Amino acid sequence: MYNPDHTKPGSLKSRFTTRFLRALSKIHAHKPISSSSPTEMFQRYQRIKAAADKSMAYSVRSRRTWSRAMLWKLRTRSCGRRSVKTSTIIKSQQAIMKKTRHEKQNENTTTTATTGEDGVGFCVEEDELREIVPGGEAMDLCNLLDETAHYIKCLTTQVQVMKKIADFYSL
Amino acid sequence: MESNPGTTETRSNLTASDGGQVTAFESLQFTDEIHRLILAPTTINASSFTALVELPPPQAVELLHSPDSTKFIAAKPPNVEDFKGSFRFPSNTSLIEPDARFSVFSGEANNGNENRDSPVSKILNSNLEKAVKSEPAETESAQPLVSDPPVEKRRIKRKGRENKVKGSTKKSKTAVNESSEDAEKLPYVHVRARRGQATDSHSLAERARREKINARMKFLQELVPGCNKISGTALVLDEIINHVQSLQRQVEFLSMRLAAVNPRIDFNLDSVFTSESGSLMDSNFPGLVMPVMWPEVQGDGHRQQYQHQWNSDALQQPVWGREVHNNYITPEKSLLTYDSSANSVTLQANQLKMEL
Repeated sequence: MYNPDHTKPGSLKSRFTTRFLRALSKIHAHKPISSSSPTEMFQRYQRIKAAADKSMAYSVRSRRTWSRAMLWKLRTRSCGRRSVKTSTIIKSQQAIMKKTRHEKQNENTTTTATTGEDGVGFCVEEDELREIVPGGEAMDLCNLLDETAHYIKCLTTQVQVMKKIADFYSL
Repeated sequence: MESNPGTTETRSNLTASDGGQVTAFESLQFTDEIHRLILAPTTINASSFTALVELPPPQAVELLHSPDSTKFIAAKPPNVEDFKGSFRFPSNTSLIEPDARFSVFSGEANNGNENRDSPVSKILNSNLEKAVKSEPAETESAQPLVSDPPVEKRRIKRKGRENKVKGSTKKSKTAVNESSEDAEKLPYVHVRARRGQATDSHSLAERARREKINARMKFLQELVPGCNKISGTALVLDEIINHVQSLQRQVEFLSMRLAAVNPRIDFNLDSVFTSESGSLMDSNFPGLVMPVMWPEVQGDGHRQQYQHQWNSDALQQPVWGREVHNNYITPEKSLLTYDSSANSVTLQANQLKMEL
């Protein structure tokens, strides 16, 4: 069963795969794996994770707010200086700061929003969603739902491709 | 006009009286005015509407005041000239406009003074409903002598009345109030309100926004597996948040796995990857990963087996498989079995490049 990746060479999946493989090869070439100490492994893991996010964000370009926010965050994290400044990125600056603060919390917390308000303003869930989706705090609920849908689609693609690569490697 | 002095006197009388005493006056004046209505049209060259307007404006106001809302109290004595021209007092205009239809039914109303209120209200209500339904057709025919802005203003009033008449309890009064206030300042917005819903712009915008949000929630429900059965937006959002978090965690786990794997590849892939076609990448990758696999293969005897497996894997892994290219890969695989990993990669890369 062939999925449409090869029928649509410009699709999100193929773009992501190309970039990610390139990044992977760079990482492996940069640091040939001699020892498997935990610190090295952790470093490599971080790099690979960043590469995955970056390649996904690059595949989407600047069409989406979340991709812009993610790219901006990765750039500031790696470089320490801001190379690109657009108005949209400035808007999501505080969002990104908050996100890096909340990211670690979110990894461990489970959703406990059972008493959220229903109706037009979904208080608790809406805030959680904003924290999870990159760049989500600078958007109103309507656009936030749009971004969430696209973000979910991209995440599933990412997971699929990475799973296949990992399966190949571990065969 | 002959009847003018009389009307002015009565007008002043009425304006001096309280609201509570109006009913007595009304019953008295009503029959008089009805008679005048019937008789007057000959003296005045205008249509029945302006005749009605001239003669009993305050009485009409106060008449209609009791069966309808208590808000439209004629505070100022309107002049006849005012009514002839533009209508400055929206409350009065709203009351007078139905009155135009009321004049048709003046005969019926004459029959019972005591039961005046109910038939009047009934007639008015029926008039309003009929008027509202046949509104677009009757714009000019009903009030030919009235200028356009007042007609338009009255349409809004009619909408407000319609909300009231239809018994919407939600925001009927406020809708009427707001519409009556807006009519003075803004150009009219001809919107057909749904039953029991207000017509002001705020609620319309809110409704549109809510519909947008609901449409997007539905789309998200389809996207996230298992959300279709859940009803209630809070729970659906919970599910969505869970799903996103699980996806993010999966990405982390997979990247950890990739970090742990020991790829013994010297990826001389830059030259290969500079080519842009995705198909090239697709066909390259199986070949490139091959060197990873072969060093891990223990014995030569298993080579054939693994080749076969590799074929099937290549077929099944859609990302990297294509029937056309599998034919190219198999001869290269035989090469790979004998080559070292680094050489095979470059060899393969060159071969594929030549093919393309």
